[in-house]
Amino acid sequence: MAECTIIREIAPSAKVAPTARIGPYCVIGPEVTIGPNTVLTRRVSVTGNTTIGSGNIIEEGCVIGADPQDLKYAGGPTRVRIGHRNRLAQRVTVHPGTEVNGWITSIGNDNILQRGAHVAHDCYVDDHTFLGRNVLLAGHIRVQTGAVLGHMVGLHHFVTIGRYARVGAMTPVRRDVPPYTVFHSPHGGGGQPGVQGIHEQGILAAKLAPDEQRELRRALRDLFEDEAALQTKIEQLDNLGVEGEAAYLCRFVQQSLKGVYGRHREIYRGKAPPEALRLLPPELKAKIRRASP
Amino acid sequence: MAHISAKAIIEDGATLADDVVVGPFSYIGPEVTLGAGCVIGNSVTLLGKTVLGEKTRVYPMASVGSAGEDGQCGECVIGEACSIREHVGVYTAPDRPTVIGKNNLIMIGSQVGAGSTIGDHGLFANLTHIGEDTCVEEYVRTSGFSYIDDGVFVGAYTFIGGFSAIDHDAPPFAMLMGSPYRVRGVNTENLRRCGFDQDDIKLLKQAFRELFNGAGETADPAIARRLMEEHAANPQIARLAAFVLRARPGGKSHG
Repeated sequence: MAECTIIREIAPSAKVAPTARIGPYCVIGPEVTIGPNTVLTRRVSVTGNTTIGSGNIIEEGCVIGADPQDLKYAGGPTRVRIGHRNRLAQRVTVHPGTEVNGWITSIGNDNILQRGAHVAHDCYVDDHTFLGRNVLLAGHIRVQTGAVLGHMVGLHHFVTIGRYARVGAMTPVRRDVPPYTVFHSPHGGGGQPGVQGIHEQGILAAKLAPDEQRELRRALRDLFEDEAALQTKIEQLDNLGVEGEAAYLCRFVQQSLKGVYGRHREIYRGKAPPEALRLLPPELKAKIRRASP
Repeated sequence: MAHISAKAIIEDGATLADDVVVGPFSYIGPEVTLGAGCVIGNSVTLLGKTVLGEKTRVYPMASVGSAGEDGQCGECVIGEACSIREHVGVYTAPDRPTVIGKNNLIMIGSQVGAGSTIGDHGLFANLTHIGEDTCVEEYVRTSGFSYIDDGVFVGAYTFIGGFSAIDHDAPPFAMLMGSPYRVRGVNTENLRRCGFDQDDIKLLKQAFRELFNGAGETADPAIARRLMEEHAANPQIARLAAFVLRARPGGKSHG
């Protein structure tokens, strides 16, 4: 094979592992760390205070770590953290956090982000999730492990997507999506989006014990037969003494009910959420604790 | 701090202010003018007769001034302190300019069609599609995936909800949602933030109830005429009534 010079711009102070592959026209900023075996195919821009783990594949046109699209952002050195073995398809954008809301945007491990997906400031994407084409995460969103978002799903600020939930394509999500449910607009997109069923593949993917599966399915049927009187139904389930994932489902729904317009994370408006305090280095954590009342 | 990357391509004839920053792999065409304090990210393409105002930032992979449906580049004027975010496309045509006012934030993946006129202080969320020859007034805000059709007029201070399609002229001060859109009320939050007083907002709410019948129906010009007479001194009502009197039902005034 003919030798050729790859034209690219890697800042001298960037920490790029020797086994990472940085393709042509990539731009790596001065405070970027890229782990071993991560591949940036072509024309990827990684700037800001960004840490990318090992074994990721980042395709053409991705922009990671440009300024957040939040008018409150004051230009501080906020962070992006991307874990291991993620696939970011073409034109995915990931923005760092903002100073007032926890400093960090985080993507965990083994996620697939399809073409054009956008992870905005202060979002937390856990592990094994799937974000379809052009999925728009607004700010401050948590996508829990194993969630599946179909193509062109638009999410409101401060929404939580529960574990192993599935959101149908082109659904506008304005409130929390409970775990293990299928959430989309009824009547071919005509009605208000809501829980439309149980996400069976999600329950299988979560690899629960048979007893736990049975209990979870019963709890899901009880709660979402129709979405009325959820609080009473949760109390009834609690009196039966549910455990494991069914108990987690009850807590999730209860928290959403207490939130603003069905969004639990609204309580973190203007302050750092617990995820940020877990992910940030100790010196920064202390600084944030001092700054917030 | 002027910093023009050695890996950027700046054509002869381009006019750059002294402190402009240009990232690597960007291309700046021969008829482009960049004001003081402009920051151009990496892999940006600036073509045509593009003029960027002071302190405007263009983020990686965006392209400004490229040819629209006519296949030829033309004039594009962008005001001060705008942010053109990643993957945005601003298109031009040879016979009419594309004009964007000051202090706009055009978010990731949006497009502004050739010949469009955009006012000041706009905020266009991700993947907003603004068609060719549209006229969007000041302080308009959109949500993700919204669509403004070719030749449509959008009034000032209006908010457009996510996944909405604006397929005909839209009034000022309104909340619009749906595909095709319906008027859902007054954009009170934005008006309050922009310093309108409570009485004005109250009056607008009354006018909207009468004009749009609470169901987003097409406004009745007779009601608009009466409102204009009753509140002759109120500039907001005058603006709203003028829109209703000018608009044809389902029409596009700029096509």
